[in-house]
Amino acid sequence: MVRKNKGYITLFLLPTVVLFIIVYAVSIVILFGTSFTEWSSGRKPVFIGLANYIQLFTDDSDFRKSFLNTGVWVLLQSTIHVAIGTVFAIILNMKEFYWKFARTVYMFPNIISGAAVGMLFLCMLNPDFGAVNSIVRLFGNADYAQNWFMDYTTAFFSVTMTWLPYAAVVTILILAEIAAIPESLFESARIDGASELKINFYIILPMLRNIIGTCVILAGTSMLQKMDIIMMTTGGGPGNETMNLPIYIYKTALMENNFGYSNSVGVFLIGFGLVFVLLCRNLFRIGSSQN
Amino acid sequence: MRKPLFKTSFTLASTLILALSISACGSQNSSENSGAAATVAPTASGQASDTPAAKAPVKISYLTFRVGTHASAKLEEEQIKQFNAKYGKEVEVVVEEIPSDSAYEDKLKILAVSGDVPDVVMGKNGINDILIKGNLVTPFNDYLDKDPEWKAAVGEAALAANTRDGKVWSISDQKQNIGYFYNKEMFEKAGIQPAQTWDEFMSNNEKLKAAGFVPLALMTGENAWTTNLILAALVGTNGEAGNTFMNTLHPTDFNTPEMIQALNMMKTMLEKYTTKDALGAGYANAANAFSQNKAAMIANGPWMIGDFSDPTKSSADFDKKVGVAAYPNNSLISTYEVGYMIGAKTPETRDAAEKFIRFKTGIEGQTIALEYGNVMPVSNEIQPSDALKQKYPLFVESIKLAQQTQVHYQSFDSIVYPNITDAWKSLYPKLVFGQSTAEEIAKELTKIAAKHK
Repeated sequence: MVRKNKGYITLFLLPTVVLFIIVYAVSIVILFGTSFTEWSSGRKPVFIGLANYIQLFTDDSDFRKSFLNTGVWVLLQSTIHVAIGTVFAIILNMKEFYWKFARTVYMFPNIISGAAVGMLFLCMLNPDFGAVNSIVRLFGNADYAQNWFMDYTTAFFSVTMTWLPYAAVVTILILAEIAAIPESLFESARIDGASELKINFYIILPMLRNIIGTCVILAGTSMLQKMDIIMMTTGGGPGNETMNLPIYIYKTALMENNFGYSNSVGVFLIGFGLVFVLLCRNLFRIGSSQN
Repeated sequence: MRKPLFKTSFTLASTLILALSISACGSQNSSENSGAAATVAPTASGQASDTPAAKAPVKISYLTFRVGTHASAKLEEEQIKQFNAKYGKEVEVVVEEIPSDSAYEDKLKILAVSGDVPDVVMGKNGINDILIKGNLVTPFNDYLDKDPEWKAAVGEAALAANTRDGKVWSISDQKQNIGYFYNKEMFEKAGIQPAQTWDEFMSNNEKLKAAGFVPLALMTGENAWTTNLILAALVGTNGEAGNTFMNTLHPTDFNTPEMIQALNMMKTMLEKYTTKDALGAGYANAANAFSQNKAAMIANGPWMIGDFSDPTKSSADFDKKVGVAAYPNNSLISTYEVGYMIGAKTPETRDAAEKFIRFKTGIEGQTIALEYGNVMPVSNEIQPSDALKQKYPLFVESIKLAQQTQVHYQSFDSIVYPNITDAWKSLYPKLVFGQSTAEEIAKELTKIAAKHK
């Protein structure tokens, strides 16, 4: 039986593997190869060894800032964002009268495209007519005109707030996992006199380890490709205050026409992502038994 | 016995369906596989298919950002329509619409890396340099020599603007004469006239502010267009050195006294004389501030004139309130657009692309652009129709202004590298929030220019 199944497994995996090789593997090999070249649009790549990487780590403050911002966003997303989603899922799981309504409303920001969310926040935080400043003005400060996205003191915070609290995907995944926990466990706990709080802390949360680990990976890696909202709101500015690695790659490739250098940043970004995923896998022991 | 047979059949069928669905994703005909792509010569192609003996029209690809709400969307549509009516049997233009200037530029740059550029390309914002360096375009010299009438319609000055080492790489379709528009009512209430000097310009700003108006509709997002037009005027009118700088293609040293002085003045304007949302705002915000009577001045070209009588964009009768003025020191931004390039690879498509470009940039194309888009033609032969003069008297004023001004210079967008154009949006907040001085910004601009490959 095992032998027969192996044949089917190979057959069904083959198209995916072929597609992966064509779409990703070849691209990654080209990306890696050209990261050692000087290559701009309209010219052929010229091998320059490690020059791009040396410049990246020794003489590029924009890269350092982009890396730092990306790292901070990965950290925030994989901790606070996941925590918000998990807590919300546990609250919804109590199945109070509002739970379906709350679940639907919380989903809204996640079903709107990033560009639309960016536009929405641009309007809400507009210094002139934005809702936030208008509310502050209503409370007496008539001249209040905070430029949330362009002021150095608020830009990073404002951009972060366009995605950090909206963890509906995490909530949905966690809710599905909670639903899979056998009801008998809860019944036993209740018979033993455990409160709902204790059930949440000592039964539900420990049993969510695998899915929380998965959510941490999903949320963290989403920050390695975050571009749309940043482009719509600050474009990486003011200065390089909200620049991350994807925006930096875009700028070096398409604005500076420096594809070789841009690809070296791309290789670094892939490496960073792999290290992050491996760390999370080990930290949460994903795939191993809940016990 | 039945089960294994069923399993095998099921597996084979599934694999076949998967293979078919994958192969269906790739079609050889680009005009048929993209939802965005639209063939704009239905009549011609239809006629060709009805008569098998007739030669099928040559298909050429053309990407355009002049669509939707773009100021030049109407003229683009009309040019293509009239070209199809005239040459549709010979050439079929397959148009792909890209609804944003920057998305167009990004797409072209990526296509250039793969060497697969469209047959007709608009070479704006550095695209021309990339295509020339990569040997991806064909010069127009032979075509122009064969058609002296067309050569005359474009004019020596426009051709010279796009000539490198004796080769004409692109054909310009329009001249940009850019001053600024002002709200006559607000000027009257503030008791001022368009400024003749920069001191007077700043004093006007102060008087407008004292009269309760926001003087300038500025924006630093996107390419900081309306802000940088004034910055260009500040530099371009600052002596011979400033004027030379603003007429130099790809300047590499921004650390000049003229640039630093201009940046300091712009800092004052952004701090004191513009809307609260100017930092980070896009063109739409600035245009809206002016057209909705919120700001007294906006720097922009004549293509904006149509918006002043458009009730969806401006307040009622707004066009009657608007005047047009030159920048101080009797000066104006005056540039030729890069225009169109031939990216076609085969002799057949090259000729077809040239025919399309010849139509767009010849007398007919320029006339359409003038009448439908308020675009200043490159040819002196073309004059606005009486209907246009009556509908847009401000346009006639703009033409007069262009003839009267004596000092001319280009816009930043037309001279600097694309990475400089992209940098303004992050540099202006630095300047205004005091993170960097004008001197530091000038040095940073020099560093950014050096990074361009």
